[in-house]
Amino acid sequence: MKLSGWHRLAVSSLLLGISALAETRPQYGGTLRTTTRIAPSSLDPADRTQSDSLARRNLSSLMFDTLVVMDNRGRLQPALASSWKTEPGNQRWQFWLRRGVKFHDGSPLTPEAAAASLRVASPGWSILAAVDSVIIERDSPAPDLGAELARARNGIAKRGPGGSVTGTGPFHVTDWQAGKKLMLAAEEGYWAGRPFLDAIEIEMGKNSRDQLIALELDKADVTEVAPEQSHRASTEGRRVLTSSPIELMALVFARDRQSTADGKLRDALALSVDRASIGSVVLQGAGEPSGAILPSWVSGYAFVFPTEQNLSRAGQERSEIRQVPSWTLGYDAGDALARVIAERIALNARDAGLILQTTTSGSADVRLLRITLGSLNPRVALATVAATTGIAAPKMGGAAVEELYQAESAMLQTQRLIPLFQLPAGYALNSSVQDWDQDRDGSWHLEDVWLGGNRP
Amino acid sequence: MTCTRYNAVYNSPIPEMLTPSPRFPLLTCYLWLVTCFLMTPVSLASEWAAPEQELARKIAAVTGPGAISLEITNRSSLTKKDVEQIGQGLRVQLETLGARTVKAEQAAASVQVSLSENLQSYVWVAEIHQGAGDSSVVMVSTPHSDSAVFVREAAPLTIRKIPLWSQEERILDIAVLEEGSSPTHLAVLDPDKVALYRFADNRWQKEQVMEVTHLRPWPRDMQGRLMLRQDHLLDVYLPGVFCQSSNTAPLTLTCRASDDPWPLSNQFSLGGFFAPTRNYFTGGLSPGIGKQTSTMKFYSAAALPRPSYTLWMFASVDGQIHLLDGITDQVARLNWGSDIASLKTSCGSGWQILAARPGENAVDSVRAYEMPDRDPVVVSPPVDFAGGITALWTEAQGTSAIAVSRNAETGNYEAFRLAPACGQ
Repeated sequence: MKLSGWHRLAVSSLLLGISALAETRPQYGGTLRTTTRIAPSSLDPADRTQSDSLARRNLSSLMFDTLVVMDNRGRLQPALASSWKTEPGNQRWQFWLRRGVKFHDGSPLTPEAAAASLRVASPGWSILAAVDSVIIERDSPAPDLGAELARARNGIAKRGPGGSVTGTGPFHVTDWQAGKKLMLAAEEGYWAGRPFLDAIEIEMGKNSRDQLIALELDKADVTEVAPEQSHRASTEGRRVLTSSPIELMALVFARDRQSTADGKLRDALALSVDRASIGSVVLQGAGEPSGAILPSWVSGYAFVFPTEQNLSRAGQERSEIRQVPSWTLGYDAGDALARVIAERIALNARDAGLILQTTTSGSADVRLLRITLGSLNPRVALATVAATTGIAAPKMGGAAVEELYQAESAMLQTQRLIPLFQLPAGYALNSSVQDWDQDRDGSWHLEDVWLGGNRP
Repeated sequence: MTCTRYNAVYNSPIPEMLTPSPRFPLLTCYLWLVTCFLMTPVSLASEWAAPEQELARKIAAVTGPGAISLEITNRSSLTKKDVEQIGQGLRVQLETLGARTVKAEQAAASVQVSLSENLQSYVWVAEIHQGAGDSSVVMVSTPHSDSAVFVREAAPLTIRKIPLWSQEERILDIAVLEEGSSPTHLAVLDPDKVALYRFADNRWQKEQVMEVTHLRPWPRDMQGRLMLRQDHLLDVYLPGVFCQSSNTAPLTLTCRASDDPWPLSNQFSLGGFFAPTRNYFTGGLSPGIGKQTSTMKFYSAAALPRPSYTLWMFASVDGQIHLLDGITDQVARLNWGSDIASLKTSCGSGWQILAARPGENAVDSVRAYEMPDRDPVVVSPPVDFAGGITALWTEAQGTSAIAVSRNAETGNYEAFRLAPACGQ
């Protein structure tokens, strides 16, 4: 080769070098600034007065660890528990705690502390503290107890007077203004290694538009992006990352089906919704039309449940009922997307001869809800939806996919909810954010994130 | 071509590892590939036989014997070839149950089979429509295969990238303890242990595991170094911890908290102090380069001997390269990555620097440079990796390097030997 070839390589290298970044190894330091739409009034992971959402879970995981976590394949992995075993029959589970873990106040994580925390989150369970482990006993077989424990609400917290909570997570609280602002600092002795970031600053209660403006003005490094905005944000050159569909948007009736006629009207409503149009126009293609409760990537069979609009069948069902009541359709006043979709649904319903009056009142006949996927374990996820919507928890004897399908079908047959869309979670990042590792369900791993470029 | 059903990985699972015969490597590779190719359909057929049988049984239970139409849709990551084989298998199984497949217009029942999947399994769903009645749904699931696929990349021109090891746990360093035409005895360092593997009976066998003990949590992006020694097998340098192996069998590893400097080279006597809770060296040097006993915090270092001094290059945490010669500390922005290592070779000037650099989608590459003066000249095309490089260390002899990368697709850590090949 020699000289000329080497010279060619040298030139090509110089050209490549202009656009290349210099760092490959993560850097320590800096403050990550992020914004969220939610505005929680409490940081306690077990506080059931706070609505469940992906953002809340992600916040919780910064401060609190769970005994186990779930990986992207839905398998249990060790966290505060380094190992576990279950007795035959799955009624008794024993979790051995990782040694040397401390709460942010310096006190050690003991089986007593872990058990006390879990008793608050799950008061119905029998939880015992052993020498180096926690034992959970249930009245009936609980094959999914591990997946249940991986949920953020079961984060291990030490509760003090005045509602104060401290955790063992990668960041500790330095400033908390309920519903407004949360400041976190890296926990130097974190059992899984000190995070790369020094601090995280979280501004709360920001709507989608304000969040994107904050990113544009370099007042935030990471912001949430609403599904309907993710396409536009990408085309405008923003760095947008989205999860798999993790949020079910559904119509949920306030009451059980009252009569056969009521059932027919609910059928008519389900058949009248034009998911395809709403999906392409309102959601800009970001949501998957769905007739199923669980997204297909979790269940594997969601396509079996129909999603097509069928106005003639809807009209036929409607025509069999003499007295058609007027329903109120409620939606969250702070959710601009919900308002537009609710109005579209009301128009679709009118085409089928149904009367839907949209309202932001809390006491509507049917509500447009967003329900976050509760777990990567499909059985736990289904049970979570049941609990959220007031449907009786589905009975599942085994782990076979057919049993899951039958349980989901049974929930749909109650006609308490009409699935509409499965929505992804999206985040817009500025160029300084490195190693943003997001699970399929949208979970953050901010302990692995670092700031490159010119950020401090 | 990949033979996934045969776990075509180079070391995982270890008992099934196949390596080319040192005497007839090309022939062995060829025969292995041919065997793999010929046996794949048989293997796949047996892989899907159970779910095919179960789904056919469930379909036939609904339709009963008779003429059915069968349509198969793939909604999963299965390949076209897999789908064809599953379709064939399903038809055969249905025939044995008396349900023969015909055209839709001749069928008493139509069956739409969707090959789908969820997080852990393939899910095969059959929607059965009979006459004007309601449709029935039956389904089966079969777990995803966990077999990893390692596709060896085409040989580069001047840096040969030789796969050594792959595992799920982070690989910090690898030392080749013995080798003939290829390595036969390895020490693999991960955050918890040093594992020794020996190639015997045509497979890698775990010989011994020596646990690493430590009191403090490990930092993220953990680094570690294995150094082979004359009077005992090896030393292990980890953040805030030093371990030494015994010198008699069975080997043991004794670890203690330590802030002793890590050796930065086998050929040149210079140590660097590693920050125990970080992923970089503090910048303190021992005993120093001439009068210089410190530089900026750095990730890695490489030495280039000159006639009257040694030029040291440090990949600093600010993304720049610091060049120290004992007197001056010159800063260069070379757009290199965090990992550099030097090699003594018979190519070019005799000494080259290997430098990692980031590519698109967190996929890194390594290429070789020479430093005629203080400006680098590229002397090799880049060697691409399937993910980010997490470690790059010069090997004990100084003529090759170990590069570890995390495969962005599989998540596994893969260690390679980077060996220069002159004039290719």
